[in-house]
Amino acid sequence: MNTLILTLNDALFLYYLVSNLLYLFLLIFAVRASVLHQRLLASIRLERFRGSPFSPPVSIIAPAHNEGQSIAQCVRSFLSLDYPAIEVIVVNDGSVDDTLDVLTREFQLLRTDLAYIKEVPCRSVRGLYMSQTEPRLLVVDKEAGGSKADATNAGLNVASSPYVCVLDADSLLEKDALLRVMVPILADPEHVVAAGGIVRAVNGSVVEGGQLRKVRLPQRFIEIVQVVEYLRAFLVGREGWSYFNMLMIISGAFGVFRRDLIREVGGYRPAAIGEDFDLMVRMHRRLRERNAEYRACFVPDPVCWTEVPPDWKSLGKQRSRWQKGMIDTLWPNRNMLFRPRFGRVGFIALPNLWIYEALAPVIELVGLASIGAAAFLRILSSHFLLLFLIFGYAFSTMLSIGGVLLEEITYRRYNDWREVAKLLLCCFAEHFPYHQAHLWWRLRGMWQYARGDVAWGKMTRVGFAGAAGKPTAR
Amino acid sequence: MNPITKLVNLLGPASYVVQAVVASLIGAAILLAFIMGRRAARRRYFGRRDQRAQALRRQLPEILAGRILPEVWRRDPLDDRILEEILLDRLEAASREEAEQIRFCLRISGLLDKRIHQARRRRGWRRLYTLVALGRMRCPEAIPALAEGLDDDNEQTAIAAARGLGRYAMPEAAEPILERLEMKRLRLPANVLQSSLYHCCRDRPSMLLRAMQFTDDQLRPLLARVLAEVASAELGEDLVLIASDPLPEVRASAARALAGARPRLALAALQQLAADSEWFVRLRAVVALGMLQDPRSIPVLLETLCDPNRFVRLRAAGALSRLEGFEEEILVRAVQTRDRYALQALVGEMQRSGAMLAVLNGLADPLRRNRSRRILLAAERAGAPRLLLDTVLHHSNWRVRTQAARLLAESQDPEVLRLLPYYMTDTQPPRERILLVWLERRLREAGAVVRDATHLPPPRAARQPAPSAKQEQPERGIPAPGPALVRDDR
Repeated sequence: MNTLILTLNDALFLYYLVSNLLYLFLLIFAVRASVLHQRLLASIRLERFRGSPFSPPVSIIAPAHNEGQSIAQCVRSFLSLDYPAIEVIVVNDGSVDDTLDVLTREFQLLRTDLAYIKEVPCRSVRGLYMSQTEPRLLVVDKEAGGSKADATNAGLNVASSPYVCVLDADSLLEKDALLRVMVPILADPEHVVAAGGIVRAVNGSVVEGGQLRKVRLPQRFIEIVQVVEYLRAFLVGREGWSYFNMLMIISGAFGVFRRDLIREVGGYRPAAIGEDFDLMVRMHRRLRERNAEYRACFVPDPVCWTEVPPDWKSLGKQRSRWQKGMIDTLWPNRNMLFRPRFGRVGFIALPNLWIYEALAPVIELVGLASIGAAAFLRILSSHFLLLFLIFGYAFSTMLSIGGVLLEEITYRRYNDWREVAKLLLCCFAEHFPYHQAHLWWRLRGMWQYARGDVAWGKMTRVGFAGAAGKPTAR
Repeated sequence: MNPITKLVNLLGPASYVVQAVVASLIGAAILLAFIMGRRAARRRYFGRRDQRAQALRRQLPEILAGRILPEVWRRDPLDDRILEEILLDRLEAASREEAEQIRFCLRISGLLDKRIHQARRRRGWRRLYTLVALGRMRCPEAIPALAEGLDDDNEQTAIAAARGLGRYAMPEAAEPILERLEMKRLRLPANVLQSSLYHCCRDRPSMLLRAMQFTDDQLRPLLARVLAEVASAELGEDLVLIASDPLPEVRASAARALAGARPRLALAALQQLAADSEWFVRLRAVVALGMLQDPRSIPVLLETLCDPNRFVRLRAAGALSRLEGFEEEILVRAVQTRDRYALQALVGEMQRSGAMLAVLNGLADPLRRNRSRRILLAAERAGAPRLLLDTVLHHSNWRVRTQAARLLAESQDPEVLRLLPYYMTDTQPPRERILLVWLERRLREAGAVVRDATHLPPPRAARQPAPSAKQEQPERGIPAPGPALVRDDR
């Protein structure tokens, strides 16, 4: 028994060591990729793409479910994007609030007889609306499908451009974000099949008329922690994985995909919980099966601002859902693991997601239990435990700081030094009690998934008007 | 023993935690100090740079006029860099005269020679940046140095050289690219080459036509795509020759080029391409015919309105909807095709292009009312009763609404009677409800009977108009089959 527990403790130590070394490795290559990207940007004049007849049109798909509060602002922000040819498709996914009324009023919508051909599955469409004032806008009114995937599929069915940009209707894109995210596609349209930009937290920032006026860090600890998390996940994680062409997630809040490929894989899986992850895995699968040479890129400078959960409860629901989405995608694709035809995706990227993302809460729980058991049996070396805790703490803090430093060295969105200081302090403080709460939410997500509870749940939103002020739950 | 060390020893294993906390705090302080130091250094550097930039901007007229000698500002490396940046930025938006003045300054100050020298000597990123700067200068004497950059082993450097040449927008800058393409020495992303050639060959598209004779099947479509964008009347009837190229991609580009150049035989060539075996060639031809806006193309466009490929149908509908003044004739002739998919594609595109809205607004204008009524009646018969019903309920002008209701009553269309219950809701304003009730009564008085099947005859079999593929079947319960929205899939 004692040997078993001690072996478990050693295995746990090894698990954390490998995990942290992996992220350190990613951090190093993320820095390299960021520097290369910055250099490349210095040699490109974006305005050349603006006037080029060879810049392919892009259909922007924005699914909206009860977004009456912010939909008009968001659509205006999408329409004002700096790109030569866009078509904005807003999918009203069975909203019970005034989303469609707001759109009708603001953009003078008129119902049309345009045909709708269902190429990818989704719930019934009630009508298509065109704007009398903005010819680039098309609104699809459909029955509630219960998922973003279902609504996005309806948008895909009417999209006409060779590329589709999938957004959240409650997101704000910077004016040149689409142009920037299209840079790798424009540079190599034959191989780049998808590209995603960075998602940042808009909480605390000043938004006026659908445009971000001033970037500010949110006030609450729970929101600042998420800012750190997003920086770490995007600037370190995705940049690093993208460097090795193993990008497994392009955020559903802002991603561009080749339309023909998305349709080829059958669009988004309507029942998927993490539809963005699910789509990317299926795209990798299809392209690897075809033996195609392809790239899915992360581009760090086009920014999509989104509202992150402002309270513990909403955040808990979101993280439980993410965990469910992770398992919901990994499980059906388990046959990709360690199969030579899926190359580095099957041998590195997916096993990493299984071990260090999907199963991480369970492994951590087992680890805690084994430490507790060791303490109970009086075989726990307090020296070892402290070293272990300090090692884990120091390493993960260093990775968070790496994300913040990368931000400071490259993109520097937070101009006030006090905000950077807050971010740094948050890197030290996020381990207690946020990490433990996160562990609990993820375990809850796994439990819910095992029980078949796959509902999305409601998130408390402040709306952009209130993003800088005190939140008011809707 | 030092009291702090004594205290730490007293703590036992807990001292590790204390040490970790202290180390973390020190680490955080160091990081914060680094960030603040870096910020301060950057602030100082940029402050100095902005100050110098402002001073140099104030002196710019004298510098350009040569009253301040280059030796004065070239001595300081910071001034040298700043002024080059200012001159290049200014060149982007300068008038012809001012651009000449700036280029003269670049030449006499030695900045141009310095960059040419660097482009030949430097390697890696530094060469790339030099080529970018040379491209922005647009001085013809730098073309050879940029051309040498095309042969760099580093793809990014070669791309920068190609982009730089593209900035010149001169036929002379296209020559090194075309030469290397003909000799198969240049392998760059298509988009970069297209973009550069597009800018350089605008004044002399015949260069592309000539180069197409010497390039292989891999590169010919690329050149044809550029040609399609820059084709001008200068090419004349030569374009008709590439319309019969064996490669469908080239034929498709030829269609677009024909629309741009509009040679005498364009219409005939496009009519031929509209019957091509490849759907995307037909699609391009239809788009090109739409761009010509020649009423003589109406018969061909009506034929392609019944094309087996839905994208071609939609483009044909789009092209027809843009032919102003022929709406009534087109709709009547479209009804005669007896192809409901074609008809609804046409009506949908007319709505999308705004042509139908203009016609609807004409109902409120006594001078245009009769014409609008005829067109809308034809559209209604084409299977678009919902268009008029939506107008009755949602149009901003009440007069248009009542006219639309009258028109529907006159149509005696049983389909309208079938649809009416879906439009009547309890929350409707009384005026709208009265209008709908009136319409229902008029239709019933006229003896309209609700039918399940569509009132239009089945699609014509001869030209296989109805899409047979499963995915082309419109969803049940959706207003009407017709066009999806298709744009140019360049």
